[in-house]
Formats: sequence, structure tokens, C-alpha cells
Amino acid sequence: MKEELAPHVNDITRALGNKVSEQEIERELSSYLNVYRVSLDTAKRSIVKKHGGNPASLAVGVSRTLRELIPGEQSVNLLARIVSVNEKDVTPEGQGTKRILYGILGDPSATVPFTAWEPLSAPLARGDVVRVQNAYTKEYRGQVQVNFGIRTVVSKEASDALPEYKPGPGSGAPYAGKPTPVRVVDLREGASNVAVTARILSVERREVEVEGTPKTVFSGVLADETGKSQFSAWKDFDLKEDEVLRIEGAYVKAWRGIPQISFDERATITRLQADVLPPADRLAASPRMWIEDLAERGGGVDVTARGILIDLREGSGLVYRCPECRRVLRKGACRVHGEVKGEPDLRVKAVLDDGSGALTAVFDRELTEALLDKTLDTCIAAAKEAMSTDVVRDELSDLLVAQPVEARGNVTSDDYGLMMIVESAKLLKVDVQAEAREMLEGLEASE
Amino acid sequence: MMREVAWRLFASEFNDASLEVTGGGTERAPSYVVTPLGARVNRVFVVGVITDVENVGTDMQPMWRARVADPTGTFHVYAGQYQPEAAASLSKLKPPLFGAVVGKSRVYTPDSGTVYTSIRPETIKAVDESVRDYWILEACRSLRKRLDAVAEAQRMDPVTKEGLLKVGVKEAIAEGIVQAVQHYGKVDLSRYLAMLADGLRYLLPEYREILPGGPAPPVSSPEPEPKGSEPDADEEAVLGIIGSLDKDGRGAAWEGILEAAASQGVSKDRLEESINRLLDKGLVYEPILGRMKKI
Repeated sequence: MKEELAPHVNDITRALGNKVSEQEIERELSSYLNVYRVSLDTAKRSIVKKHGGNPASLAVGVSRTLRELIPGEQSVNLLARIVSVNEKDVTPEGQGTKRILYGILGDPSATVPFTAWEPLSAPLARGDVVRVQNAYTKEYRGQVQVNFGIRTVVSKEASDALPEYKPGPGSGAPYAGKPTPVRVVDLREGASNVAVTARILSVERREVEVEGTPKTVFSGVLADETGKSQFSAWKDFDLKEDEVLRIEGAYVKAWRGIPQISFDERATITRLQADVLPPADRLAASPRMWIEDLAERGGGVDVTARGILIDLREGSGLVYRCPECRRVLRKGACRVHGEVKGEPDLRVKAVLDDGSGALTAVFDRELTEALLDKTLDTCIAAAKEAMSTDVVRDELSDLLVAQPVEARGNVTSDDYGLMMIVESAKLLKVDVQAEAREMLEGLEASE
Repeated sequence: MMREVAWRLFASEFNDASLEVTGGGTERAPSYVVTPLGARVNRVFVVGVITDVENVGTDMQPMWRARVADPTGTFHVYAGQYQPEAAASLSKLKPPLFGAVVGKSRVYTPDSGTVYTSIRPETIKAVDESVRDYWILEACRSLRKRLDAVAEAQRMDPVTKEGLLKVGVKEAIAEGIVQAVQHYGKVDLSRYLAMLADGLRYLLPEYREILPGGPAPPVSSPEPEPKGSEPDADEEAVLGIIGSLDKDGRGAAWEGILEAAASQGVSKDRLEESINRLLDKGLVYEPILGRMKKI
């Protein structure tokens, strides 16, 4: 094991400019692989990121499967089959019309959408097996998307270079070995064959289409004492709300950074006594978390953070949105749809910092109106009178900046850090004297 | 890139720092001021009393300097042309007032052995007393965490990040502590424990009467000194030195003051204390770091 990992330890150390010792990298890598059980590639990238380096500077390639891709990768090499391909004309802003290709790539692990932004040397057809070098990934509507750009090289391979893609989850190889027990708060993207004991808080049956094949998925929220997670069951286990289950052989995917649990026919479900876990109303409470812990996890479902709003971001206050795509207009123009008649909206994008970490908290119109104790119409009138939307922003800044708040919502993450879509928030009123007295007594007692 | 967290820490700990490190790795790696208790500070959030604001630059190229006092000491905040918003807010403030500052930590080393820490502000806002009190509480909590972690570290030999992680110290602090131990050696924790207790007592009305100087007194100088407004003998001597060395109106250089004080039998320690008291009393100020000027 150690010898096999040596080139990768070396690769990580080099990508970090030798500022972290090999022993430490080796220890961390082993923890990612053996404790959290994430893939080698995910582990390498996570370690480089954690130490402030750029994962794109990793050089020792790992053969990648589509399931392992994450958004924001600058250079990925793949062997995949073209599941579908189509043409489309687009007109990027400030450029002439051009023809692009889009479709689906598949390998035995997963399928992902792709887009080829530049003409390719040879036409692509459904069923082709292609070797792709130097593609990049982005996130589109919560899903990884592979992009072929100017630097990307696509070459055809023999059609038996890759097994035929069989649609639907559960087509992966069965797990070998015992599943690893994991608490919900410890779920990490990329982990597989994990065991979770949790109560089902909600479940609904949904019909979805996976690569043109209709499938049924049972999705909802489950929880243990440590936290909540979305789940997707790709087989009908006859899951019922409020029952306590032991799920063995599940895997963890991430949606916008939030780890969520998935399981299919490879999983074993054991129904447990209802009193193994606290009742649903207790588990449904939003756990309070430090932002540093959210950052380490990649996000969380329905969590509560307490901190100070230390800054208002650009685009807070009275904004105008594109009627087509809801993007916020800059100088009266939408990034995609050009000059449009904007629809007014109120929102706050603020930096919430709890001393352990920081996230961007987004408050929607309803929350912003409540914070201001003013309606959108009143704000529009005030901005008209002042002939600037700055008045609304300034009022929000006066009201919020430097104030302690408690905010509850889902926390997602991407390359720019953590973001909370705030569900509810309140300004914190803390009894400073009581807390100071308690801390002082603790201090004097320990002396 | 993750946004750097805003540390809540007292001026006295921040000003004790004499170590600057860079994150390494990438070209635009952030730099950190590492305090004796291992806080690795790139960004700070400070709430205190803005006691004075002045333009220490020129009319053409203003450089606004504000002093922000907390229960333990004073933060120095400098905003120039590259911080237009913060400079504009500073120029409009009418001290004294409670103010909140978010900014980046800076160190300035005019000569070897002397290190000044300061803050380059990103945002500045006038706030009320309750925000300041809550900040003191947060600064106390943060200090407490570091004190506990450093106490753990002092039981270790050698101090390693792995060892600290094993006893439950968070990674963000563990790394700073290892760097702090290498640079500062064994830190006297009693001074910081006293700072913590003083910070907490500052919030409690039952301790207010027994402190000298009214309802909002500065506390926690290592040896409490009676703070009269009249300069004592050392201070008179130092005031004289500063006045005589300030030939061009730009202030007297620190090296010169140190030399002249030594020749008059004022030791470096006594000189520093005198200058601190003169700063507190508003009898001298630093037009630029490393230079002193009579008011």
C-alpha cells in the first residue's frame, strides 16, 4: 500500500511547493483513503486544496471514472462512450453564431452531460468510444458537466476499449468487504460502502428519466443525532416515514458540495427498533454547526450557524432581475439575454463569519423585507426619490453589518467557498453579562 | 479559495506578535501574523472605541490613521488611497465613538527587533455599545480556546501538529501554535490568563467600581500604573527628547529617541512604557510608524 502511494504523496508534496512534509501528506492521504474511504483522486485534490494549493498542478494522473468528476476541474482525461450527441447553434455575447455539440458521455460508473465548444477534428457519433484529454468540468444545475475547449483533444478508440454502458444506478461492481459505519455528520463525498443508522424523516416517490430510461427513485431526508442528509434510494425498499434503518453498502455523492447518501440493490436494509434513535421531532431540529466544520464537510442540510455579518456583498439591496433567467442585471443588462426590462427584487448577500470560518449568506426578498420592516414597493419608491438604489443598500448595511445573527438554511459549496441559502434568521440578543460571568467563574474555579 | 476567517482577538495579543508567515504554495499566497498564542491572523474583526482619527499623509495623498482601543490596548488602523471606502468612512468619523473594523493584519519592521502590527481596513462602521460588549465576549472565548490549546502544547515535547490534533485541538489553531512555539519559545500564560479575566470583568458591572478611572477604564497593563494626566519625570524627559529631535516637523525617529534616552539614563523598557503612557494621554502620536511627534 505504502509503496503504491509513494508517487502520489510525492505528487501532492510537489503541487504544494514542498511546504508540507511528506510524512504529513502520507498521514492525511491514508486518512482520506482508509478512514473516509474516498477515491484516490478526490483525496489528492482535497489535500492540495486544504493546504491552499491548486489541484490542477497535480501531475501524476489517476485513471478517472465519470462518477469521480467534480465541478471546477481544469484538466481531466477520460475514456468514455458517446451515449448521445446533438448539434446546436449558439450566439455568445459579442461573438458570431457558432455550432456546438452537446450530449451525454458514459462509462461503467456514470453518465454526465458534455458540451464541445470548439470544432472537433472528427465527427462524433453515438456509440463511439473516445479518449478525451484536457477537458474541464463545470457545474450546471447541480450536476457535473464536461466541457471540451480549445486545449481539449478528442480521439477515437476501438469500441471494445470500454464495456457497453448499462444505464441506471446499481450497475457498478458489487462491494467487497465490510461496510464502514459512519455518522451522518461524517459522510464525505466519494465514500462508498458505508453503513448508516438513521431515521427516515421524509420520503417521496419520484419518476425520473435517466438517459432516456424512466426510473423510480425514492428520495427524502434521513437523520441521526449528528445531522440530516438527503438520500436517494434507487430500489423500492418500501421505506416509510419515521422508521429507523440500518443501511449497509450505501455510497455518498455530493450535490453542490453537500454530501448526500445514495443506495441501490447492492445495499442491505435492516429495520431497527424505533427507540434506537431520538424521535423525529428532535432529529428534525437544525443542528448548530461551526463554519469551519461546514467547510471541512462541504456543506450541510438545514444547519444553523451563529456569527457576525461582517460585510455586505455586491448586489445586495434593491436589484433587478432578467425576466428570462432571473439573473441579477448589471447596468441594466443580463449576462445572457442582453438588455431587458428588469423585474425588481430585494435580497441580501452578506458575509457571515463566526470566528472559525466564513460563508456567504443569501437572504431572499421575504427575509429582506422582514429585516428592513419595509416592502419591496416602499424600497422602490425610496430609490426613485433618491435616484439611486444605494439608499436601500445603505440602510441594510446600517442595520446588519457588525451585528450578531443566527441563520438557518442549507449550506452548499463551490470554488468560491460556502454559501447558505437562508431559510430563517434573527438578530441575536445575547446576555453578554450572564455569559461573561459564567466564563469568569469557570476560569476562577480552574485556577 | 476559502475566504480567510476574521479573528476576534485583543489588541494586546495582536500587538505582542512579531512573526509574519506566508501561506506558501501559490503565487498570491496570503500572509499571516502569528501571535504568541498561535492565532494565525490574516483578517481581523475588531470592535472598540475609536479614540482618534487623523490624516497622517498629505492633502493630496491622505493616509488616515485611527486608534481603536479595547480593554487591553490599542489597535492601529491605517487607510490610504488603496482603501478608498474605508478611508472615506474614517475621514467622516467624529471620535470618540464605538466602531467596528474588518481588515487585514499588517506588520511593519522599521529595524531589526522592532515590529509594529497594524490593520489595513476593509470596512469600518460606527456601532453601539452592545455590539462592542458582544465582541469582547467573543474575543474572550477565542482567547480561552487558544489558552487551553497552548497549555496542552506546553505539556508536549516536542510540540507537533499531529500531537495537538490528537488531543482535540482544531487544525486551524494547531498549525499556528507550532509556529508560535518555534518563534516565541515558552510563552508566559499568566499574562494572557489575566488578560482574559480582565476582559470578562470589563463586561460585569460588579467589577466596575473597583477599577480606577470611571466606567470604561483601560485595564490589563502588566503592572498597573496610576494614570495621572500630568507627565512624570521619565515622560517629561522623553517629551523633551521628542521635541528636540523633531527638526523637520515629521516627527522624531525611534532610533534617535532610544539613543538620547539611554544617554539620559532612561532604559529601553522605561522609555517604551513612557511612550505608551504619552500616547494614551494624547501628548504624542505617531505620524508614521517608527516616528514620534509632540501634539
